[in-house]
Amino acid sequence: MILFLQILLIVSSVLLVLLVLLHRGRGGGLSSLFGGGMQSSLSGSSVVEKNLDRLTLFVGAVWIIAIVGIGLLIKLPGAGS
Amino acid sequence: MLGAFRSALATPDLRKKILFTLGIIIVYRLGATMPAPGVSFKNVRACAEQLEGQNIYSLINLFSGGALLNLSVFALGIMPYITASIIIQLLTVVIPRFEQLKKEGQAGQGKLTQYTRYLTIGLAILQSTGLVALAVRGQLFGECDQDVIPGKDSIFTLIVLVITMTAGTSVIMWLGELITEKGIGNGMSLLIFTGIAARIPAEGKNILNKSSITFALVIVAALIIIASVIYVEQAQRRIPVQYAKRMIGRRMYGGTSTYLPLKVNQAGVIPVIFASSLLYLPDLVVRLTQGSSSEPNWFSTFVQTYLVKQSSWVHISVYFLLIVFFTYFYVGITFNPDERADEMKKFGGFIPGIRPGRPTAEYLKFVLGRITLPGSLYLGIVAILPNLFLDLTGDGQNQNFPFGGTAVLIMVGVGLDTVKQIESQLMQRNYEGFLR
Repeated sequence: MILFLQILLIVSSVLLVLLVLLHRGRGGGLSSLFGGGMQSSLSGSSVVEKNLDRLTLFVGAVWIIAIVGIGLLIKLPGAGS
Repeated sequence: MLGAFRSALATPDLRKKILFTLGIIIVYRLGATMPAPGVSFKNVRACAEQLEGQNIYSLINLFSGGALLNLSVFALGIMPYITASIIIQLLTVVIPRFEQLKKEGQAGQGKLTQYTRYLTIGLAILQSTGLVALAVRGQLFGECDQDVIPGKDSIFTLIVLVITMTAGTSVIMWLGELITEKGIGNGMSLLIFTGIAARIPAEGKNILNKSSITFALVIVAALIIIASVIYVEQAQRRIPVQYAKRMIGRRMYGGTSTYLPLKVNQAGVIPVIFASSLLYLPDLVVRLTQGSSSEPNWFSTFVQTYLVKQSSWVHISVYFLLIVFFTYFYVGITFNPDERADEMKKFGGFIPGIRPGRPTAEYLKFVLGRITLPGSLYLGIVAILPNLFLDLTGDGQNQNFPFGGTAVLIMVGVGLDTVKQIESQLMQRNYEGFLR
């Protein structure tokens, strides 16, 4: 069980990193970090971005479930390795 | 003031943004306390208790809001992103292609941001590997003999740990971007802000436990420091700019006299963050290269005694000088006098008594150079204040002491910025703002 969760965790982690990297960076780097002035986000989020958001949220949920699951399995006596 | 709060919450648009931001912050704090898979939460707590008061990881722990010593999923916090941003920023000076991208405007900036994001993931992998290695060797918590990672014999568990922490960093990056995009304020700096603010109650209780007189004194001192920081942050020199009257069609344009605000501290808190991250780097290198058994060589002893120890004079003066240098550096790359002068010339504006074009640029350069000097000195002094106190009293306080130094600078800077952004949103609807 724990092995399954770990594999799930690895897969979801890698997916998560890739999905986040696919997003268009809105941070604007350091130039806007800490009071670099106001820049309005001109374009609203497109359909692609919206679907990407949903997908990321879904993978993130799987990721969290896997983490919590492993934590619980380790905590329970006898179930952990 | 309270009325402004009410109107901020009464505007549906703004309310949605504020609630969204709060939601993201809650998610971030939850993740910061969630232990990574394979880490024994009980043992980590026990070890972290022992470590209270020592200040080995002060800075990195400051930025991650205590998540590092929890070995949580978000243990690395925002640190890889900051380091990546610094590296990319510095590279724009060195690599011509990056400089070109920077000058390209929006599209080029976007590309640089994308590079920063890739570099963040790379750094996250490096740092999480280092962190896990430290934890396995038992070096992370010094003398603590509890077993932090129970299943450390299987290499698979460790790989899972590293990958999870890397993914955690990318999630933080995403959360920050979400705030910037859909919420209020700059996401990255807000996340750092929450990390610092989360430590205040615990630190305050620590001091209160020692003695209540000290507590009262600290509160008074903190208020004074905060007030003076706000005072300097808001200070600006207004250079008058006169615009010529122009007729376009039958409309009259210009003819107004406005001003060009030059802030005393144009660079914000970035120099402080740059400097402290740079000071932290040698220590990181030493920790990563040093084996558990090998004798400390001259380099690591040098780093330990002079750079890491916060009460040493070398540390304080190097920190101070770095801050002053980075203030000038950062103002130099963000504010371009030539560009400003050109822009003014294009729209028919001029500074009274100075010819447009090159003389204006030179004048701006001159004023900026003069005005940045007190700004940089102020940044340096506020940042090293706790270190000086540390030298006087000789105990417990350090850089992640949330009532002085770097922490106050970051908190006030980010707070002011966020409030200003909320205010500008309010102004669009003709409501009275927070600041008079």
